[in-house]
Amino acid sequence: MRASKQTQHFARQLFSLSLAAGQVSAERVEGVLAYLSKHPPRQPLAVLRRYQRLVATQLAKNRALVEHAGPVEDSALRLIEAAFTRKYQRPVAADARPAPALIAGLRIRVGDDLYESSVASQLAALSTPA
Amino acid sequence: MFSLVFAAAVEAHAAVPPEGPAGLLQKFGVEWQFVIWQFISFAILASVLYQFAIKPIIATVDERNAKIAEGLKNAAATTAKLAQAQQDAAATAKQAQVEAAKFAEEARKTAREFLDAQQKDATARANELIVKAQQAIALEHKKMLEEARLEVARLVVTTTQRVLAKELSDAERARYNAAAARELAEIKD
Repeated sequence: MRASKQTQHFARQLFSLSLAAGQVSAERVEGVLAYLSKHPPRQPLAVLRRYQRLVATQLAKNRALVEHAGPVEDSALRLIEAAFTRKYQRPVAADARPAPALIAGLRIRVGDDLYESSVASQLAALSTPA
Repeated sequence: MFSLVFAAAVEAHAAVPPEGPAGLLQKFGVEWQFVIWQFISFAILASVLYQFAIKPIIATVDERNAKIAEGLKNAAATTAKLAQAQQDAAATAKQAQVEAAKFAEEARKTAREFLDAQQKDATARANELIVKAQQAIALEHKKMLEEARLEVARLVVTTTQRVLAKELSDAERARYNAAAARELAEIKD
């Protein structure tokens, strides 16, 4: 069931209170959760779901998920962090995760944006018709 | 009285035979009184017959002759009319034959033209169908080749993926990852 406009608005307000200098603050999130437990709203589950989605989205914006096949050096990760921090004008932290399906290369996901330079993607591009 | 007078005249004559022709007539028994009275009787008879028999008969015969002549004249006119009518009929029949022949020729010509047009249409339609079929076959062939090409490409890619997954060493992968990191770091908006 879709959350009402009121619920969405309330969740957005809680989310904006959870930010510190444009980033999600763990302390502030804890404070918001404590408030909700003491003063539960009319639709608590809907509010919490909406709030959780907003927080996760914000966290994803500040996180670059780096999928790699084979070893990747720290210098490469630092280079990626610096490049995306510059690009998005906000701090971005790299989080490496192995993905053997790539065969070789990297796939980086920042929020809803996806960047890929891998052997698997290039072979897939060859096999799909133009 | 008449007969008494007649007998007296006869006796007077009989007493003396005359000379010449009259005597000749008497010799042969021809007596002129009888001849005269016979003439008179004959004249009366002739006139009566003429008036009451011959004249009507002649009138009837004349009438019949007139009718016959008229009939003959009418017959001639009728024969002439018949001949004329026959001539007219012959002329009309001839004209009708000519016109019928003309109509038949026109009908034949129209039928020929219609048949030619139908044949042309059928030929054009058949050619159109052939061209369409050829185009469909060419398209199908092209599609089949494209599919075969794609299938080959997919097989090549799959094989390459498997080979690379097995054959690439960690060092080569690390080198590739470093190059990919440099490439992605330079992506602009």
